[in-house]
Amino acid sequence: MPDEKFNFTKAYQEIEEINEWFQGENIDLDEALEKYERGMELIEKCRERLKEAENKFEEIKKKYTAEE
Amino acid sequence: MKINQSLKVEPIIEEKVFSVSEFLDFLNEKLKPCWAIIQGEIGEKIWNYPRFTYFNLLDKDGSVLKCFVWREVIENLGIDLESGGMKIKVMGYPEFRKDKGEVNFQVQRIELVGEGILKKQYEILKKKLAALGYFALERKKPIPRFCENIGLITSKFGKGALKDFKTNLGKFGFRIFFYDVRVEGSFAIDEITQAINWFNQNMPKLDVLVLTRGGGDWESLQPFNSEDLVKAISASKIPIITGIGHEDDTTLADLAADLRVSTPTDAAKILNENWKLASIKVYEFGRNLNLAIKGNFKDIKEKIIFYGQDLVKRVKKEILLKAGRLDDLMRNLSLSFKGYFNDFQILERNFQQNFLTVKSLIKNQELKINQLSEDLNKDQSRWGTAAKKNLKQQEEKLIRSSPILKLKQGYTITKDSFGKIIKDPTKLKISQMIKTKFYKGQVSSKIKEIE
Repeated sequence: MPDEKFNFTKAYQEIEEINEWFQGENIDLDEALEKYERGMELIEKCRERLKEAENKFEEIKKKYTAEE
Repeated sequence: MKINQSLKVEPIIEEKVFSVSEFLDFLNEKLKPCWAIIQGEIGEKIWNYPRFTYFNLLDKDGSVLKCFVWREVIENLGIDLESGGMKIKVMGYPEFRKDKGEVNFQVQRIELVGEGILKKQYEILKKKLAALGYFALERKKPIPRFCENIGLITSKFGKGALKDFKTNLGKFGFRIFFYDVRVEGSFAIDEITQAINWFNQNMPKLDVLVLTRGGGDWESLQPFNSEDLVKAISASKIPIITGIGHEDDTTLADLAADLRVSTPTDAAKILNENWKLASIKVYEFGRNLNLAIKGNFKDIKEKIIFYGQDLVKRVKKEILLKAGRLDDLMRNLSLSFKGYFNDFQILERNFQQNFLTVKSLIKNQELKINQLSEDLNKDQSRWGTAAKKNLKQQEEKLIRSSPILKLKQGYTITKDSFGKIIKDPTKLKISQMIKTKFYKGQVSSKIKEIE
């Protein structure tokens, strides 16, 4: 079954939000540093995920289907 | 051998004699697995009853198969059966009717044959299912932005749909769970609906189901125009992408799907799209973040320098302002003090002058007092002598007029009992006591007679 240790969609969305936050005005430096670190960490993870490129293919065995 | 055989303990199999009913039941049990798909034309007459229908299925050579069908099977078809040559395929099994002694074909599903009638059926079903809301946009489930776990429903024996999908799927770490189904023919509908249900029951966390098959003529796509499949797609909790046939084939399954693409290749491409974009964007985001943080630092540094300079300026200005005020204050103070000093000097001068005056006044007074004192001393001795003389004279005068002297000369003084000097004896009474004082001593006497 699908593993749920790293959620690419959530991570990517958070990166987008951080990126958008940086476009805003009145940025607090402490917060900026925190968001920067978080953003870079997520970007690294996403890059790693994108590197794991090979697809996995699995055929469902239908022992129980009626007509086979 | 014979003896040995006769010694074997074996159950005696009795010859089975059926009743007619039992035999028909027995036959029907045997016939039920004889599933078949039969194509033919509907005969000249259709016997419609409220819950079921009979009709004859004919071949060109005159062969006849009597068919029984429940009303709901016809309703699922979407269109009524027409007598007199309508081409259909029936799917079902044979069964003996016990009351008539004839074989009926129990129809489980009917499919129309011929593009014209199929189009007609398609339009009618489309209208019906649309009215029931199966194609409504608000029923469509969103396709996750990044699909990782995909349930693939197609045939591994098809015209390359599986291959097309797999080869066009980018290497983004997809996990594909493939469920092989027939995508054509009468069994396809059941298999595809089973596959959809299986994924929903066993792998409900899949991101998406992809239902796909390659192109074919309109008739071969019929499973995808069935009401049962539309309902299964609609009931799926997992969103479904369909890629069926060619660009211009829009099956009812496509209309019910959450997202419809034209072909298996397109289905793969649409799943790649966001991953492709992300693999570019993720680098861009990294760059942007670096630039943004650098920009922020620069910004803040500039602000600090600006505020620093501004602060020095402002403090300087403030200091100058205060210094000016302090100068003014000092000036005012020194002016005030100058006035006070002047006044004080005048006072001091006045005081000195007054002091001298007072001093000379005191001196004069002292002289005067001394003079007076001297004069007084002189007067005192002069007055003292005169006073003494005067006093002597007065003393002598006094001595001369003293009653003691009178007494000495022999006069007496008589007083009553109260000490009062008696000058008029008429006021006295007989026997009253009186005292008479002499120069030396005194006597008490009682009055005897008053004259």
